[in-house]
Amino acid sequence: MLWYKAWLETRWRFLIGLAILTASACGTVFVYPQVMRLLPLAPSISVDGELGRRVQEAVQLSREYRGYIWSQWFRQNLIQTWTVFAALLGAGGLLSQSSGGAALYTLSMPASRSRLLGVRAAAGLAELFVLAAAPSLLITLLSPAVGDRYSVVDALAHSACLFFGGALFFALAVLLSTVFADIWRPLLIALALAAVVAICEQFVREVWPYGLFRLMSGEAYFRTGRLPWPGLLITSAAATALLYGAASSIARRDF
Amino acid sequence: MADQPVIDVAGLRKDYGPIAAVRGLDLQVPRGSIYGFLGRNGAGKTTTIKVLLGMARPTGGSARVFGLAADAPDASVEIRRRTGFVSEDKELYDYMTVDEIVRFTAGFYPRWRRDLEARYLRALELPAPAKVKTLSRGTRTKLALLLALCRGAELLVLDEPTAGLDPAVTEQVLQALVGHVAQGETTIFFSSHQIAEVEQIADRIAIVDRGRAVLAGALDDLRESFRRVQLVFDREAPQAAFRAAGVARVRRQGRVLTVIASGGAESILDEARALGPISVDVAPVTLKEIFLETVATED
Repeated sequence: MLWYKAWLETRWRFLIGLAILTASACGTVFVYPQVMRLLPLAPSISVDGELGRRVQEAVQLSREYRGYIWSQWFRQNLIQTWTVFAALLGAGGLLSQSSGGAALYTLSMPASRSRLLGVRAAAGLAELFVLAAAPSLLITLLSPAVGDRYSVVDALAHSACLFFGGALFFALAVLLSTVFADIWRPLLIALALAAVVAICEQFVREVWPYGLFRLMSGEAYFRTGRLPWPGLLITSAAATALLYGAASSIARRDF
Repeated sequence: MADQPVIDVAGLRKDYGPIAAVRGLDLQVPRGSIYGFLGRNGAGKTTTIKVLLGMARPTGGSARVFGLAADAPDASVEIRRRTGFVSEDKELYDYMTVDEIVRFTAGFYPRWRRDLEARYLRALELPAPAKVKTLSRGTRTKLALLLALCRGAELLVLDEPTAGLDPAVTEQVLQALVGHVAQGETTIFFSSHQIAEVEQIADRIAIVDRGRAVLAGALDDLRESFRRVQLVFDREAPQAAFRAAGVARVRRQGRVLTVIASGGAESILDEARALGPISVDVAPVTLKEIFLETVATED
């Protein structure tokens, strides 16, 4: 029954996220023919600096469909929107209920606090995995409509990189939700941290080959065909540690 | 085990930062009793209940329910499995319907009483398809009560169960409680500052003030032992320092001296007559007076 409660509490956030990402995935696929028509004009674009480099790289990648999908979808549209929903789905829970009083009803149930938090986190993670995988698999499904193919294995591999890499932001929001009694501060702090990480990665891109968002985009898998296991294991372990911290924090709290 | 109190609290203390909410509370609730936990706002009633149900951790002392330590996480789950609870604010899940929250709650309790559920849904006129957020305070209270009563619980812990309700709904709730207890071995522990309702249904009470129990016992015994001795003089009432035990309070007002005795009136009557009053009147005391005198004594 706790699963059902977790679903009822998060379903609108999840469904809105799914709708946005589904629409975005459809847009990414159906825009490709227009991108192909514009590609011959690309050499005339001259922009200096990091932005120019990224434009040129996107142009090069878009010459083949797999590169276009990775560049536009997994590295850009999906990763940005998904990160917002990772923080949004992690925010809230027992402590935010306490401001409305319903927390006492939950706490009167014969369930430990770690179970309450664990079910809530597991439900959120399941929703996040669907948010990563379902729109990506939709790309595989829709690609024949524009005369191309996108592998199911690639879609799932990139989704896995996004999920296991980005679960860190979800876990951070869960942890912060055991400290703050509203959903906004955990959400904003997690998103602010994500923005800082993303900006820092841009600055150190040339000298530091690793980065959380590079991991989440599955760049290593795209370029080498191999999953970045060490990175995924490290981020998964960090997310687990944050969730453990959240469980410890909620266990100590007075309501 | 039958003689073991359902709730056994000894020297309980709970601090919230610099504020001491409960300061050395002692309490024993016998099995099968309807126990009124009386106190003013902020006396420590809700905090005590939260400690009993594992929602807050005690700073000191001990709190045991069914012989289990309330601050041990595993034991606390077992305590809640055997306990029904209605919180002071009756907040439930606004996003669920009445039927959904009943099903949700029933899922946790193997001994859920479907027969009672059907009966109370009908008797309390609860609209099964309605969202909880659309319910009035009174209806929400009745729903909270149904959710507590149908758990098949051995203990019901009710925090201000009738707070904010109109007299008709209050009566309906109290009758549901009394009727429920009459059917089984349920113990009810309920906090309130509504003295009339405590007097109506409780067989034992504790009066708590500033985090300590200042009076506890069977309601009939307390009524029996408390007496008001009123002395009327033909002159200004004298300053009197009674030596007899059980003098809870002495009040002088013009020619009248009023003594509240907590251990029966006999012990102080001789001393009272020695003061030379023109009349001596001994009368029983209501629970309201006992409460006010006890709490006032603490001021």
